[in-house]
Amino acid sequence: MAPSPSPIPLAQRLRAGDPRAVARAISLMEEGGSAAAALHAAILPATGRALTIGFTGPPGAGKSTLVDAFVAELRKSGRTVGVVAVDPSSPLSGGAVLGDRIRMGRHTDDPGVFIRSIASRGHLGGLSRSIHHVVDVLDAAGRDAIVIETVGAGQSEVEIVDVAAVRIVVNAPGLGDDVQAIKAGILEIASILVVNKADLPLAPRTVRQLKAMLSLRREGEADVPVLETIASEDRGVAELLAAVDACATLRPEDAAARRRTRIRRLVAEGAAGEMRRRILAWDDAAFLETLARAARGEIDIDTAARAAMEAQAGGVPLPVAVPQKADRRAG
Amino acid sequence: MIHAGTRPLRVLVTKIGLDGHDRGSRIVAAYLRDAGMEVIYTPPWQTIPGVVKLATEEDVDVIGISSLATDHLIVPKMMEALRAAGLGHVGVVVGGIVPEAEQSALAAAGVSRVFGPGAAREEIVECVTALGQKSRAERVDDYSEANP
Amino acid sequence: MNQAAVQLPLPGFEQASGQWRSDYSRQVAGEKPVRNRSGIEVQPLYSPRDWAGERYLDDLGFPGQYPFTRGIYPSMHRGRTWTQRQLIGLGTPQDYNVRVRRIIDAGATAISLLPCCSGFRGIDCDEVDPVLLGTCGTVVNTTDHMDAALDGVPLGTISTAMNDPSPFTLLAFTLGVARRRGIDWRSITGTSNQSDYISHFIANHQFYRLSLPGSRRVLLDHIEFCRRALPNWNPLSVVGQHMQQAGATPAETMGFTLSSAIQYAQDCIERGMDVDDVLRRFTFFFDISISFFEEIAKFRAGRRIWARIARERLGAKDPACWRFKFHGQTSGVDLTQQQPLNNIARVSVQAMAGILSGLQSMHTDAYDEAIACPSEETARIAVATQNILRDEAQLCAVIDPLGGSYYVERLTDQMEAEIEAVIARIDAAGGMYKAAEVGLVQTMIGESALAFQEQLETGERKIVGVNCYQVEEDPTIPPAERPDPAAMERHVERFKAFKRERSQDAVARALDALARAANSERENVFEKVVEAAEAGVTHGEMVGCLRRELGFGHPLIIA
Repeated sequence: MAPSPSPIPLAQRLRAGDPRAVARAISLMEEGGSAAAALHAAILPATGRALTIGFTGPPGAGKSTLVDAFVAELRKSGRTVGVVAVDPSSPLSGGAVLGDRIRMGRHTDDPGVFIRSIASRGHLGGLSRSIHHVVDVLDAAGRDAIVIETVGAGQSEVEIVDVAAVRIVVNAPGLGDDVQAIKAGILEIASILVVNKADLPLAPRTVRQLKAMLSLRREGEADVPVLETIASEDRGVAELLAAVDACATLRPEDAAARRRTRIRRLVAEGAAGEMRRRILAWDDAAFLETLARAARGEIDIDTAARAAMEAQAGGVPLPVAVPQKADRRAG
Repeated sequence: MIHAGTRPLRVLVTKIGLDGHDRGSRIVAAYLRDAGMEVIYTPPWQTIPGVVKLATEEDVDVIGISSLATDHLIVPKMMEALRAAGLGHVGVVVGGIVPEAEQSALAAAGVSRVFGPGAAREEIVECVTALGQKSRAERVDDYSEANP
Repeated sequence: MNQAAVQLPLPGFEQASGQWRSDYSRQVAGEKPVRNRSGIEVQPLYSPRDWAGERYLDDLGFPGQYPFTRGIYPSMHRGRTWTQRQLIGLGTPQDYNVRVRRIIDAGATAISLLPCCSGFRGIDCDEVDPVLLGTCGTVVNTTDHMDAALDGVPLGTISTAMNDPSPFTLLAFTLGVARRRGIDWRSITGTSNQSDYISHFIANHQFYRLSLPGSRRVLLDHIEFCRRALPNWNPLSVVGQHMQQAGATPAETMGFTLSSAIQYAQDCIERGMDVDDVLRRFTFFFDISISFFEEIAKFRAGRRIWARIARERLGAKDPACWRFKFHGQTSGVDLTQQQPLNNIARVSVQAMAGILSGLQSMHTDAYDEAIACPSEETARIAVATQNILRDEAQLCAVIDPLGGSYYVERLTDQMEAEIEAVIARIDAAGGMYKAAEVGLVQTMIGESALAFQEQLETGERKIVGVNCYQVEEDPTIPPAERPDPAAMERHVERFKAFKRERSQDAVARALDALARAANSERENVFEKVVEAAEAGVTHGEMVGCLRRELGFGHPLIIA
């Protein structure tokens, strides 16, 4: 089909907050490729304004229900919200049932809440490969707050540190072997700890255990609040938002540093991916010989890798020249 | 940057109207997931504006509506609302119990296919795949203009 | 599998049985195990080794005697056959009235009322897209509507079962009608069907209206009110049907249902109600699938377990409380769109299972029920099926005719063990309320549904016309009977006029009283529902008020 008769550039449309453009842009980021990279570059200057909040924790802790209630609280405070809900993909088919919508029913008629479900697509760390880009799209679209709900896989979720300024680790009483369900690594990234389903009989014990673990692991650091919520009844949620806001305003200088780290990490990831793609497709005779030598054990793999990388990277001095056609975009 | 790759088809599996029986829609959701699609699954009783908002935000390629009672009767209104919101490219299938005489009204409204009870897994997956690909091909993509 | 094996003194038994085993194996070499829907492996033959009857009095007893395995009454169907209770409901109250009077004229002593789906959703007819109104039930939103629906119906002599989930507005409207007609409430008989909110929360989202704690509260108020004011009314029907239809196996279904009954009984006891007064009014409602022997074993085992639960666990002293009274509906899930007349055969088998199980009342599905609202002709065939089984096949002549069958007794024992295991699992999760709240039951049902679907796809389980014996046919779904749009429009207009013209003060006062009751531990919410109905408050207004005060119902859906 022919393109739209009077296409307004997607970047412009999404920055105006047009939900269709935002949705398309997210899909584009998920797809990746040069168009995604270009769009990302175009919107990057408009990012950095939104408050980003991550929710993580073991399955069954009630994350979706808590996010639903938390988003309602954000709306009450007059803020527009973007939600990115990450669910696991099936390792077999690559497909996924994204069911977070089930517990986020109350915002279906509210244009102030934009919810996007994302499949993790096998990406480790409970997030999706494109999560940074997706969050940037919502940020550039002018959402005041962006809530990221991760797969509660419990493994190396430290990535969320880069994505979310405030990290909320949600737990609930009676999940598995008490708070063992929360892995040590996750505890360390928490800005706030929440014990949801606080009306359950074991809740006080869970709170005590979390506080004990915190005192062991975070000695000398700023206090991490431990809050109790009953998300299904909206209880404790206003207090949670207050804690989030307090946390976000605590150290503004962190924001800039976090942003630099984030970009650095994105560049590193991108570089790794690009290098991987190039080397996998490389059939230069000298390189094939290097591979053969590595196979015979004449050189070790690390040496071969470094040689391949340097050969690939050779001849392109930094910094990169700004491509000419970038000027065309202005206006 | 992230690598270009094929993005799985995205399908919204939902129910509008009054009925709440969701055994069929769950099974279909599992079929589509196992076929490698990303299925956005909702509780029953979505409103028509709610479906439009969902389909927009989730950028789905296909919508599957399950109707076991008489909820298919308001599907034509949903089709109208989708078109009005610029989602005319999204393929729509209805699964469930739709009397023969009422199927033509759905077809006329733009529903691509009505699956009766006992429709085979392959038949459903094949149809949704074809519709999703068609939807992707027909969608108006104007992002290229945003490239620097 | 011979853990229950009996040491047999029969001379020559071992040799004969060994001989048969080897002869059998020669004929069916490499046979795959056969399992029923509950996953129990079914043997090719049963013998005194599987059941020898030495525990007859403990396990079976005689009909009307504890543990009631063979039936809850001494004479069972031979004394009084089951009640034929066909669900009906379509269009406006006037449309319903025409149909229900025809049924009464034909000799029915029990009627039912299926409200419009909008009613199930807790809203009134003026809040819905009009094309959906009355398409699968009758639109009853006020006492006036109920009056029209029951015009000429002898309330007080006829038993009424209404699909009336919490907060039981249909019963409230009926009581309003009774008051208008000067009928003593104490003479009103029937059942609040669909009062089992836990089953709705789990498996029937259509009926789920109020938050889980709110539903719990209103049901207890309802039971309390009915025990006080309506001595002949069954305020609770514990429903297994939704869960089995959602995919629970027959054993799981019985286990979940009994766990729900335990929960409700314990809630009543905790409220201070007399267990003997309450339990005698508990009734049950099940689907009867086509898994013939399994269903029979399910019901026989269920009767035995309930008797034990009621007596031992809940401490009821009155034998009436130990009796497991149930209504069975032939399962629509087994019916097919393909070759629809085949469904008559299926319904016959299901109904036979129900009758041989000793049910108290039954609904047989019309053969087109899987694909349409039954027409008058198909509904007649459904009733005829019951009559044929009773009068021509003489299925009522002998009580529990399968009792003593090696297979049926063994299967009853096995089903009992499966059901007990489900109950134990629910107990371990803190009871049915908690198990539903955290999604345990939903997850179990989801897994069973998917497993069943896979068995159909691999052909391990066969459905004629669906995955085997297909014929070339035009898979048509017959035209559905839709209510007359003009009549429905008039109905909605009259409703709007009624709302304008009624005493707004009285409505406001009644709604205020309802809201206050909801927030007070001392008041009875259902009593206020009854008063509000009489004051002209509509169904949607009452549900809306309670949703505000007690919380909106969101069923837990496990993706």
